[in-house]
Amino acid sequence: MDSNIEITSTKEKTSPLLEAFRVYGEVSTFVRSNLIAIWVLLFLGLWLLSVALRKSMAETMTSTELLDNWLYNLVRPFPSPSEVTTALYNMWAKHQLLSHVWSTLKLNVIGLIYSSIISLVISYLSVIPIFKPFNSFVKLLRYIPFIGFTLIFFSLFTIGWPTKVAMLTTGMTFFLVTSMTDVINSIPRMKYELAKVLGYNDWQVFYNVVVRPTLPQMIDMVAQNAAIGWIMITSIETYSRNEKGIGTQLYAYYSTNNLPEVYALLLIIGFIALLEDSLFSFLKRFLFPYSVIAERG
Amino acid sequence: MTEREKVVTGPLSQVNLLEPLLTVDNVCKDFSLNDGKKFPVLKNLSFSIKNIQNKPQIVSILGPSGIGKTTILRIIAALERPTSGHILITEDEPNKMRDVKLGDVGVVFQKYPLFDDLSVLDNLVQPGIRIAKLDAKVAREQALQYLDKFELFKQSLYWPVQLSGGQRQRVAILQQLMTNKHFIILDEPFSGLDPVSITNVINLIKNIANQHTLNTFIIITHDITSALTVSDTIYLLGREVDEKGEALPGARIMKEYDLISEGLAYLPDIEEKARFAEIRKEIKLDIFPRL
Repeated sequence: MDSNIEITSTKEKTSPLLEAFRVYGEVSTFVRSNLIAIWVLLFLGLWLLSVALRKSMAETMTSTELLDNWLYNLVRPFPSPSEVTTALYNMWAKHQLLSHVWSTLKLNVIGLIYSSIISLVISYLSVIPIFKPFNSFVKLLRYIPFIGFTLIFFSLFTIGWPTKVAMLTTGMTFFLVTSMTDVINSIPRMKYELAKVLGYNDWQVFYNVVVRPTLPQMIDMVAQNAAIGWIMITSIETYSRNEKGIGTQLYAYYSTNNLPEVYALLLIIGFIALLEDSLFSFLKRFLFPYSVIAERG
Repeated sequence: MTEREKVVTGPLSQVNLLEPLLTVDNVCKDFSLNDGKKFPVLKNLSFSIKNIQNKPQIVSILGPSGIGKTTILRIIAALERPTSGHILITEDEPNKMRDVKLGDVGVVFQKYPLFDDLSVLDNLVQPGIRIAKLDAKVAREQALQYLDKFELFKQSLYWPVQLSGGQRQRVAILQQLMTNKHFIILDEPFSGLDPVSITNVINLIKNIANQHTLNTFIIITHDITSALTVSDTIYLLGREVDEKGEALPGARIMKEYDLISEGLAYLPDIEEKARFAEIRKEIKLDIFPRL
């Protein structure tokens, strides 16, 4: 190249920080990790700020003024991190926290296993025309308020563990069937036709086109439903309050206005959810590596 | 000996001259419109693919976009039923034919769908075991041979999502070959390709067709030059016109170009022949604009 030619680079230079604010901005793993840390710090900062604000307002304002103050009402429910930590320790040391967590976790896992199996069967059968109306009916049931099923379960099972399992399984199944059927409906027609022109029979088409390739997405759906399960579980457990479980504890502490204990239990649920999400993500990567490659494009 | 005869490895002794292998007999296809009226897409479509000295052959169905080429593909592959008429396919015995059924005719679809949850090798092995009823070891060996021959050996253990468009196309064709089908339809194999890639695909089709004397490729395309370059026979799809010169609904075969009797088939330098240019011009300037 002629050495007299002056070349000006027009390559756009952006800082890693600016990239973090751009649509689909490319950030390095280092920046990404720091961004997570920033958000965690921001969360903790806001928490501490709201606690400090609550205390300071409580000291300087009268009770009547506090009642009418929207800012105080906004920060009032938040206990301090130290209060939450103390509550967590007390529950662990004096109130069998681990036993309650184990009971709820067991219920969540069993409910998830039952609902996943039932939902997989119902949604996979939706490709056979005769079963389609049944699938649509189950999907519709997700609109029915939960109270509609409780009486049936109470008359079918004894109050306690079997009822809780049945309620959770049923509740999750309605949502799982809906999302799993959507996955099956999104299989391109060309995939069915490929199997058919290859000469596959009905069962081979069913297994090779419907069942096997959708399993990775089914894991996503189950993971999503595990979260829905945690939302349901706390209210389901309140149906038999004399039993163990995070739900019964949450109800008890909330009714007695022990907010540090309530937030401590919520943090535990958050931690378990994080573990469950990581487990499902690992399972998907381990069992179906191609699906991760496909998602990355 | 022609270029093709040199590479054909099949039993040349079992020659059945001009015996029909697949017959499209008076096929009509109507689609229902939203207002309940019927719209004829295909009207009295008839043609026959005949055995040429027991050699592989490449037949193209050529027509402009939107004329009903994919409908013909779907009817020949038994993915759709014709409103009337029959698609007859040869049985094992000469001159004995029956209605086509699903799985008789292989199709390489335009977007080259594969089983994305199977490796490239398994995409070939599974149809070999399940459909051609090959022993697992034999199927694997045959698949590896194909992959090696068509420069895909390195990609044997890749997932389909890791393949380029061209590699995917080759795997999709080889997958159909593994089922030992007599007929394989390629839907628009030259669509969206640059000239160099088109030449590669043409060579690939010729090469694959020559893998066995029983292979018959039916190419559905709108690419005149490519169709002329690769085919033995071309069926030109079109519509009749009324007295005002407007096309009437319902496509049918307007013209057949027998490139073997024209002396153009199997020639490596076909594009340099004057007759090739004449036919291309005839289709491009005279027939296509009227369709």
